[in-house]
Amino acid sequence: MRKKRFSNFFYDYVQPLISNKKSLVGSIILLFFILMATIGPMIVPLNMNSDFANRYQRPSLQHPFGTDYFGVDIFQQIVHGSRSVISLTLFASLFAVIIGTVVGVARGYLEGIGGKLLDAIITVFLVIPSFPALLILAAIFADTKLNTVEVALIVAIWLWAPLAKQVAAQVLTVKSREFVEASRMLNMGLGYILFSDIAKLLIPYIFVNFVTQLKSAMEFSIGLMFLGLAKFDPTHWGVMLNYALYQAGALYTPKGFHYPFFVILNIVLLIYGGILLAQGIEEVFNPKLRGHE
Amino acid sequence: MKYVVDRLVYLIVVLLIAISGVFVLVNKMPGDPAYGLAVSIAQQRNMEMERALEIAHKLMGIDPHEPLIVRYGRFISNLLKGNFGYSSFYQTSVNEIIAKALPWTLFVISLATLVSFLVGIYLGSFAAQKRGTIVDLVISGIASIIQAIPPFVLAVLILFIFAVRLRVIPLGGAYPVDMEPSFSLSFILKVIHHALGPMFATAIPQMAAWTLAMRGNTSQIMEEDYIRFAQARGLKDSIIANKYIKNNAMLPLIASLAISIGYMLGGHTLVESIFNYPGIGFYFGKAIAVRDFGLLTGLFSLIVIGVIVATFIAEIVYALIDPRVKLK
Repeated sequence: MRKKRFSNFFYDYVQPLISNKKSLVGSIILLFFILMATIGPMIVPLNMNSDFANRYQRPSLQHPFGTDYFGVDIFQQIVHGSRSVISLTLFASLFAVIIGTVVGVARGYLEGIGGKLLDAIITVFLVIPSFPALLILAAIFADTKLNTVEVALIVAIWLWAPLAKQVAAQVLTVKSREFVEASRMLNMGLGYILFSDIAKLLIPYIFVNFVTQLKSAMEFSIGLMFLGLAKFDPTHWGVMLNYALYQAGALYTPKGFHYPFFVILNIVLLIYGGILLAQGIEEVFNPKLRGHE
Repeated sequence: MKYVVDRLVYLIVVLLIAISGVFVLVNKMPGDPAYGLAVSIAQQRNMEMERALEIAHKLMGIDPHEPLIVRYGRFISNLLKGNFGYSSFYQTSVNEIIAKALPWTLFVISLATLVSFLVGIYLGSFAAQKRGTIVDLVISGIASIIQAIPPFVLAVLILFIFAVRLRVIPLGGAYPVDMEPSFSLSFILKVIHHALGPMFATAIPQMAAWTLAMRGNTSQIMEEDYIRFAQARGLKDSIIANKYIKNNAMLPLIASLAISIGYMLGGHTLVESIFNYPGIGFYFGKAIAVRDFGLLTGLFSLIVIGVIVATFIAEIVYALIDPRVKLK
């Protein structure tokens, strides 16, 4: 039984992703960064001690990405920082998916004033421009040291609404179908109807959304760290970028150009991997986009 | 008509929830909102902090012992009268700051949005019609890569490459400090020169987004039956491409054009801060940095109102374009 379920999962989700060129390349890029985040720190040691004799060294075999203003190896920091970059992104997307699904299903199922109110709340979060609102939240928490889960929640607050709206629309069309009626007649309970009957239909939807919002999750969390508004891991790439540009003024000295360059390169590559995977997945699960390719 | 009124009432409710939420949030920010003002008064007039705090509270119209709900009531009634509050950092009304800053922001974002929209529409439909060829691959490939660069990173790159290194654009401001605003040609040229940095930083990511959206819409429409039918009728390819495909693919994007201008009001925050460009976003960033609560709530309310108005316009435009919307 379990084996069958696994092979279904493979044929339904994994295989189409491998056969699509974009999602394949995207997956490879993301896999590379996930490996960097999981086993990287075990292989690459991190030495954050300042070594002013070695500041702003050019990339070399000893320092693949060169050294920073304090003479610390940039490659080591990127590898160790990838852990918090990736975990933050994954947590934020995960929370957003959970909130979006729960609110969306509830909105689709509830009628009357409750449904209307939920609808208004979803619209509020759709309408409020995320970045300024995120900045305010970040300023409120600027002096508190937050852990990954807390920062991820702050980011997720600005990501869940589009999914909730889509899910609500889906639930509205589905809820009058026979099998839901049947469950209701069998007195299966609201929870069972919502999360077993209806949620099952939504899984491909949620899966696509999880991937498409990885990009915003990365961008938001890196932006927060870049502005230095949330106290966090000093090797997080956003924090590194902040150091590079504002603390060390790396771009003002021709010697330091590689410092922000390698941080930006990794940020862009990671987000690009997410975009490719999302585009590929949309093509796979939304055949209309595939056209005659 | 009923549709319009319904949407209007609904959006006003949404607006009220959003503004109230932000008011509570900002008032929960750590610290006394009058503290900053009190410090500067104490320094200027060389008086004790306690006394300065009292004056500051009076100036800002805040009674520290007053419950949140009363302050909230006054905030809303002020907003209804078009009074966006008092900035403790700049020691002036928020309305005055808005009057000074909004024209710059609108100037940059409307121009950036217009140019990026036109170019994006063109590139997107061009790419879709050359689907699968190297041209399509290059256009959509570059657009995807641009999308992978967070806008603030792009802004920083533009600033450092073009302003710091190459020195072809100025480092900040809307016009040279030693010039008096006037309608002379040299002044207008300076204004455009100063707007180039923020303009490109705003336009480039948008252009990529429009291109990809237009490419997607066009590809979808090219699969529709009525296009096949038009081809079967023997219509010229150029007529099909322009009248049938391009227009239909563009319509939904025109509706989102309004929303996009609304969002730019808020999304412009970082770009303006990075370029030191004295628009709404610049003052917003400043308000967060110096914990100027009055300025913060005032500007945020303005941004949200802008987005809601834009959303409303977009919905009306969409309903006009696509009659099916009303039936829902």
